[in-house]
Amino acid sequence: MTSSSTSSPDEGAAGGARPGSYYSYGIPYLPIDGYPGKIIAIEGTDGVGRSTQIRLLREWLEVQGYGVIETGWTRSELMQPTINLAKSSNTLNKLTFVLLYATDFADRLEKEIIPALKAGFIVLSDRYIYTAMARAGVRGVDRAWIRNLYGFAIAPHLVFYLKIDEKTLIRRVLQSRGMDYWESGMDLKLGDDIYESFRAYQRALLREYGSMAEEFNFRMLDARRKIDIIQDELRRQIGAFLAEDDVGTGLRSE
Amino acid sequence: MTFSLLHATDFADRLLYNIIPPLKAGMIVLADRYTYTAFARDATRGVDRRWVRELYSFAVKPDLAVYFRVPIEVSTDRLLARRVKLKFYEAGMDMGWSASLVESFRTFQGKVLEEYDRLVDEYGLSVVNAVGSITEQQRIFRKLVTQHLEVGEDDEQLDELA
Repeated sequence: MTSSSTSSPDEGAAGGARPGSYYSYGIPYLPIDGYPGKIIAIEGTDGVGRSTQIRLLREWLEVQGYGVIETGWTRSELMQPTINLAKSSNTLNKLTFVLLYATDFADRLEKEIIPALKAGFIVLSDRYIYTAMARAGVRGVDRAWIRNLYGFAIAPHLVFYLKIDEKTLIRRVLQSRGMDYWESGMDLKLGDDIYESFRAYQRALLREYGSMAEEFNFRMLDARRKIDIIQDELRRQIGAFLAEDDVGTGLRSE
Repeated sequence: MTFSLLHATDFADRLLYNIIPPLKAGMIVLADRYTYTAFARDATRGVDRRWVRELYSFAVKPDLAVYFRVPIEVSTDRLLARRVKLKFYEAGMDMGWSASLVESFRTFQGKVLEEYDRLVDEYGLSVVNAVGSITEQQRIFRKLVTQHLEVGEDDEQLDELA
């Protein structure tokens, strides 16, 4: 994997793109300039309460008259069965893992996200490319390469990162559904003990997310607080963003 | 994009399981199509040329890459003569350029060939004129491979001397 960036449109390729435009080379046959919709991404590791927050946000936005769609990791029609199949065997290596995720994302981008942006919807994304980047980073995939790979992605208008510490995270996961093979990074062979492996893996993931915060303009939220406190904060920030933007685009249907 | 990425995933899998291990064992790997096919095909489908090159930067650079070149008419005639049923994606039917399978194939593969021509210079592919007889092509191909292997052996001997 090369780290050369000789022909990149701008330095670093991934970071620093204008919200609503492609990060880098984009998809040449799908121009998106001037599409009125918005992408709001909620990031964070497993068990930080993303889906709860998204459900509440959706209700709140729809009541105000916004059209909303949700999209989430590995939910593409094309790739979901393949990814589940591949995960159930042990034939995946880090490169095919990364590329399967990217294919899933590309499918959702072309089939769900871009059409929604065109139609003036708000896209609530449960995780975005940063999760893929964090997972790849932990597995030692070249950072420049993975940023180029996701150069076809669109920079969201807002990215919220639900930040949590390792200790709270472990308790939450154990309390809800327990640890699973992939979320514990067992493929990394950090140790036979799933608890120790989960801890080491999640710690490394949290470090990766943290290192992307500045590059991709994460808005940090403390995920240890109560659900409604976090929701209030999300609504406050999203509300302010949309109020500013509404003047120009008028996304709401009355 | 999904087309391009699925092929890259497949390639990565084959690279790691079928190409790199024999290379490590000092064997010769004969690859029927390589990353260049992806470069030509994906660019024809409108994927950014730089992006797809960087995407495949994890691939091993081949020691010798041979391009069997034929004009589009010859390749179409050959396929039709053998009554091969043209495949949907090979004919680029997804591009919506023509409702006729043969017509779409000609247009799509014609553009793919133009992309290959760019690659010949960019990557220094050795070109074999594939209009000629199979015997003649094989003779040239063997010569290219032999030359290449001899140079390789010389290098190794030099390494041993040094």
